[in-house]
Amino acid sequence: MSEIKRNIQREIREKIQEGPLRANLGKFAERYPATRAAALENAGDVEALREAIREVKASTVDRIEEIAAQFEAEATKRGVSVFRAKNGDEVKRYIVDLCKKHDVKRIIKSKSMASEEIDLSPYLRKNGMHVCESDMGEWIIDLAGHRPSHMVIPAIHLSRFQVAELFSKEMGRELPPDIPFMIKSAREHLRQEFLNADMGITGANFGIAENGAIGLITNEGNARFATTLPRIHVVVMGYEKLLPKMTDAGLIIKLLPRGATGQIMTSYTSFIGGPSPMMVHRENRWVEETREMHIILLDNNRLKSAKDKSFKEVYQCVRCGSCLNVCPVYTIVGGHVYGGHTYAGGIGAILTAMTSGMADFEKFHELCIGCRRCVEVCPGKIDIPGLIEELRVRAVKAHGLPFVTRQLFENVMTNRKIFHSLLRAASLAMKPFASGKNKTLIRHLPLFFSGLAKDRSLPTIAEKPLRDRVTTVTRKPDHPRGKAAFFSGCTMDFVLPETGEAIIRVLADLGYEVVFPLGQSCCGKPVSATGDIETAKKIALLNVKALDAEQTDVIVSGCPTCVETLESYGELLQENPEWRDRAATLSGKVREFSSFVAAEYEKAGRLNKASGGPAVTYHDSCHLKRVLGVSEAPRKLIAAAGCELREMRDSDKCCGMSGVFGLKYVELSMRILDQKMKNIKDTGAEIVACACSGCMVQLQGGVDKQLPGIQMKHVADILAARIKEK
Amino acid sequence: MKKTSSEWNRHLPAGGDGAHLFPEFEKRAKAAAAEVFRVKTLREAAALILALSGQAGARKVVSTESFLLNEAGLKGAFTAAGIEFYNVQADIAAHAPTADIGISGGEFGIAESGSVCQDSYSIESRLVSTLPPVHVVLLDSNLIVPGISEAFAILSRAFERGYVTFITGPSRTADIEVVLTIGVHGPVRLVIIAVDECPEEGGNTQ
Repeated sequence: MSEIKRNIQREIREKIQEGPLRANLGKFAERYPATRAAALENAGDVEALREAIREVKASTVDRIEEIAAQFEAEATKRGVSVFRAKNGDEVKRYIVDLCKKHDVKRIIKSKSMASEEIDLSPYLRKNGMHVCESDMGEWIIDLAGHRPSHMVIPAIHLSRFQVAELFSKEMGRELPPDIPFMIKSAREHLRQEFLNADMGITGANFGIAENGAIGLITNEGNARFATTLPRIHVVVMGYEKLLPKMTDAGLIIKLLPRGATGQIMTSYTSFIGGPSPMMVHRENRWVEETREMHIILLDNNRLKSAKDKSFKEVYQCVRCGSCLNVCPVYTIVGGHVYGGHTYAGGIGAILTAMTSGMADFEKFHELCIGCRRCVEVCPGKIDIPGLIEELRVRAVKAHGLPFVTRQLFENVMTNRKIFHSLLRAASLAMKPFASGKNKTLIRHLPLFFSGLAKDRSLPTIAEKPLRDRVTTVTRKPDHPRGKAAFFSGCTMDFVLPETGEAIIRVLADLGYEVVFPLGQSCCGKPVSATGDIETAKKIALLNVKALDAEQTDVIVSGCPTCVETLESYGELLQENPEWRDRAATLSGKVREFSSFVAAEYEKAGRLNKASGGPAVTYHDSCHLKRVLGVSEAPRKLIAAAGCELREMRDSDKCCGMSGVFGLKYVELSMRILDQKMKNIKDTGAEIVACACSGCMVQLQGGVDKQLPGIQMKHVADILAARIKEK
Repeated sequence: MKKTSSEWNRHLPAGGDGAHLFPEFEKRAKAAAAEVFRVKTLREAAALILALSGQAGARKVVSTESFLLNEAGLKGAFTAAGIEFYNVQADIAAHAPTADIGISGGEFGIAESGSVCQDSYSIESRLVSTLPPVHVVLLDSNLIVPGISEAFAILSRAFERGYVTFITGPSRTADIEVVLTIGVHGPVRLVIIAVDECPEEGGNTQ
């Protein structure tokens, strides 16, 4: 397994250095949010649409056999031959037999992910057929012998120069690297392929059960050609494309092109119900005949997945690629590092697990950093990171964790004293931890400091952690308005103790008696994120005991990931009869710092915009914004502290830290950080603020190395400074 | 000529009062790189098509047959101008690959997206709208529906079997370096000619 990982590391490095890929993908990703927003401007209630799509898709998968049977019956009634293929081999055999029966020599293909998934074209060629891809991008990568690197733009990793070379070779004449000219030449070249083809193979975006029709969405017009000129039309589609009604397709079309390319509709959206007429040149004249139409429904584990409570959610995927277009990792490395399979990105990890098995999933699931940006844009509302987490848990249950990690989790993370003494030891000498054999060990700690990074300085463990300082900061006010437990999280405890002190100061200023339960340990997220739920439960219990002993009104944390994890303790420990009720009560008391303080300030009439302070730009932590839904509160607090808020581009795009990811995939993390640094710099702000200790470590590292003169602050630091001034 | 539905009008909103949606339709269609013209009468439409063909240097035109297209008197106009004109099935099959312009009718437009719904069941309608570099589509400017949802509501009533395409601008790709390029396999130009005063089939003609 480690060897495979090393491969991916190398592939990532190569991809980061691949000029055309970075340029094209970067350009696309940068434009995408604005293009999508503009296209959605007249779409109506987008959230209601997403919910309607989710609803239709989810209810369809629950009765997929019935829908498939109806689709088959309706299509058959209209004269289509429907074949249900268990796997790729059955598809291939069916098509080859068809070709033999009808003397098919030349095949023109329009885009079909399902046929890509089963390697259809190479097989047909091996059997003597001439197969030509007609989607421009697919044709280019076919000429290059590559795999698609993007769901909608398959050749996004190639430059015009590379394409010119491929075209020149194929057409037997020198083509200049001029894009419109190359497209025109390709049009002429492929036109002959269309006119001479005996068979057209297409995919389908939809299969409509009520009338047996298929829907095809294209921009180039190639699917219309492939279903107009050749005498046989074969559709290869997966069961997940089936829908009960025509109007269901209408719902999806409202969002699919808008999400895919920022178009309201693509150039051609066609519905074909039953075989259509064609012209045949016979005995010197043109006569109309009826085209033969075949629909192959590909299973490849889809029907089994439809019954799996997690996997069935992928039926909600409409293959728009929106998730990839916003993915901080994908938009840097492209689709190829995801195991070289058909489907890339987070959704690709899941689709691959479904169609190729868990072994392939385990190769690249770590490239999902759980930032949840995709969840916001997915038309089918798929919880991609949630599904990946669930699959990780399954993988760990099936194969366990690697030995060193397991040892660390089971022996260190479940014992606070050992864990914290290791961290203290690290502050004295980080070296023994960050080198040699222990390197694997260190990267699984929630505080991580491996290797050197060119563009980011690494956090150092504070000489005196927060837990050793709290006695000097906490004091009991005369008439407290309540009692608050401060849950710092490891980062604030051991790396950013000053920010921890700032939080305590702000809470005390609100009139709270603040306590810091010394028994608190890591929240357990770095462990549960790897899929090791059993160890995570043990860690949860440690914290529940420590927090329960204090009996406070609220539990406040300035780390969104800790908040999210603490909130899940009730559910996590539900099988523990002794502690589940207390865990649930504690989970209900957890408050995220910025939203809690903003609400308190508002009550006290302190949440008013003030002036006179420095210019501040705010970075939205992924988990704070998308898991906890907090984005306004920190901004209001910044304004209330008298600062001028200057928004940066993509303020809610991941900083590249994301727990262990930031250290395991250093180079990738650095490229993500570089984009963030550029966006911060462009605002001209003096301070970059956030409300997440994890992001702080990453941003602090980036600012140190790349933006001298800009300060990194937690919102708590800004508020505490104001209190001191008073 | 085969059609997916012989009664599109029956499924469209009664009264054909979609004219107020035309400005939005026009804006969206143009944003999708379609060329849009609005004329009063079929006579003006025919003159416009002829003028456009002249500008494009067209020598050969293929067209489907429909009540409106026939009423527009295109055949006579093109023949008089010395441009080859074919609108019979076998001729279309023979000449579409080398024609400069293809002409067909659209059933209705969608304001939200600037799309034209084409009943593509007949082989003629597809040949004239795929092969030639320019596709001219004739549309009744009153037959515009507000959005994609309304369009699919119509489709769910009118579509039992057949072939229907929503055409939104000319063919395009961004497959090389994400640079938008107009004109790939399908037409390089989509010209929409919307006519305000369309005679009714079976009614009094001009």
